[in-house]
Amino acid sequence: MSGRGLLALALASLRAAPGAAVVDAVASALGAAALVLFVGLGLGVGDAARRMFPADDRLVEVVPGPSALSGLLGGGRLDEAARARLAALPGVQAAWPRQNLQVPVAAPEAPRGLEAAWAPGMTLQIPVVGIDPGLVAADTRPGVSFADPTGDGPIPVFLSRRLLEIYDKTIAPTWGVPGLPRGFDPVGLELPVRLGVSIVPSRSERLVLDSRVKLAGLSDRVPLYAMAVPLDTVRRLHALYRRSDPGYGQVTLLAARPDDVPAIAAAARRMGFGVDASERSAAERVGTVVAVTTSALAVLALLMSALAALAIARSRAASVAARARDLALLQALGASPGDLRAVVLLEAALLGGAGGLAGVALGRLAGLAGDLAWRRLLPDFPYRPETFFHFPGWLLAAGLLVAAGAAVLGALGPADAAARVDPARTLS
Amino acid sequence: MISLAGVTRAFRDGDRQVPVLRGVDLEVAAGEITAVVGGSGSGKSTLLYVAGGLDAGFGGEVTVAGLRLRGLGPARLAALRNEKVGFVFQAFNLVSGLPALDNVILPGLLRRGAAEPRAALRARGQEALARVGLADKAHLDPARLSGGERQRVAIARALLARPAVLLADEPTGNLDAVTGATVISLFEELARGGAAVLVVTHEERVSCAAGRVLTLRDGRLS
Repeated sequence: MSGRGLLALALASLRAAPGAAVVDAVASALGAAALVLFVGLGLGVGDAARRMFPADDRLVEVVPGPSALSGLLGGGRLDEAARARLAALPGVQAAWPRQNLQVPVAAPEAPRGLEAAWAPGMTLQIPVVGIDPGLVAADTRPGVSFADPTGDGPIPVFLSRRLLEIYDKTIAPTWGVPGLPRGFDPVGLELPVRLGVSIVPSRSERLVLDSRVKLAGLSDRVPLYAMAVPLDTVRRLHALYRRSDPGYGQVTLLAARPDDVPAIAAAARRMGFGVDASERSAAERVGTVVAVTTSALAVLALLMSALAALAIARSRAASVAARARDLALLQALGASPGDLRAVVLLEAALLGGAGGLAGVALGRLAGLAGDLAWRRLLPDFPYRPETFFHFPGWLLAAGLLVAAGAAVLGALGPADAAARVDPARTLS
Repeated sequence: MISLAGVTRAFRDGDRQVPVLRGVDLEVAAGEITAVVGGSGSGKSTLLYVAGGLDAGFGGEVTVAGLRLRGLGPARLAALRNEKVGFVFQAFNLVSGLPALDNVILPGLLRRGAAEPRAALRARGQEALARVGLADKAHLDPARLSGGERQRVAIARALLARPAVLLADEPTGNLDAVTGATVISLFEELARGGAAVLVVTHEERVSCAAGRVLTLRDGRLS
């Protein structure tokens, strides 16, 4: 039978029993809507969690080893020699050291232009860490320098991207100051600082220098708690304040591939170093929770689709029984059993497809409604997403295909029954 | 056009086989109208379904439009019915949910291979409906047609398909005299066009129009 013949007969059958067709399509729509909504929610929450816990799956954070073991194993201290040995490990593309500044740094006043966002009379003690510029190369804008300044130029700094969000949603409300203006770009902002000053008077240095820091960029690779400056700046200040070399506090290794990470981490441990997996573990835990929850919701949605398939199976079976004479007549006119099977399957596919389309639209609308409700009900918090849903194209296609597929699966039995209609007996 | 030689057919009733056709021999030539009469339950409809390739469980030999039916698979039998055979039943001639015109063009929709363009098919269907006096009922659902109108739609379908063989099962059983006469005249028109027409009936008005009347009794034709 030609495709148009199949389509004409399938549509005729659906027109003959519109009530059952609508019920079947609604069942399919509910399954598709649940799938799109639940998986969209899981993906949206996953996206939000990744923004909250950014984790680069190619990074290995190496820290000094336990002091008790370091002497025995000949390792433990992270210095330039250790960094070079770590950089030479198989699968390591880069090894970026970081060193904590041993000199106190305080900010006595607000950045210019952001005076309103600074608590009156506050002096802020700022932990400073020196980082290799390579660590933040991908986050450094063209034309912006992240190198130890010569002369009286401001010291370039990087801040954690998360810090701004936390400031805006948590710190600013606590201080009772306005948050950052919407769309505010902080890069280029300058902050006066005093080197050698501690808010604990006994910890202040004799040598106090007035300086400025200038925000060179934001990165997820710098610590949340500290201001990151070029490693050469830290070395220069340590020399100026006569500090002995404290070694590196951490070396960040970049693996060539994510699959190389476990072997690199194991090799670093064998060398007597520790591996700080706290950020990665947090991200993995969140990722696991999101994945499990999304999977559970997807299974629930698939169960709903299976129930829709059962409803369609019952409805199509009843339809085939009621149309036995029509089916027999079609055989008399030249339809083969295979044609009749195809007609019933096409009916189901049309119902499932129409239901799927409606379900996809319904799922998206439910997502919009959910976002509206949450915007009203949930308080503002760091990284609160604009939407808790993510509906990629493949999910919408999957909603449609699952609905149509489930309907076709449900119609397999009735289609077989249609193919087995005995025309001679039925027409007698 | 239709040739049955020693055709047998039995049905199972519990543990026993009940013979319905016991060696039927029949030849219907092109352009001929043959009527088969017989009492209720004599096997007339079974004979028709065997001859039309709807019932494959027979013994003997059946040849329709030059094609031996024994051993043909479901798809080949379906193609034969589609291209060579037209059926007119006493009732249930139309597929519900399809307008009269779509019912007329159904054989064209069911055809395998190169399909006739839909517009041309619909134009021919409209023409066939006009020939049976139903041009203005083309878009009506079968449920809104009278029994006689449904019968004429079925005949319009046969006119459009131009089958080599027309098989009719009590085609005037539910019709009044005038409508029945119309149906009979349409059969005669098809026969004049070269179709072999085999009608099973218990009505004298149909058998009177046939060139030959055979009686099916005890599973045999006489």
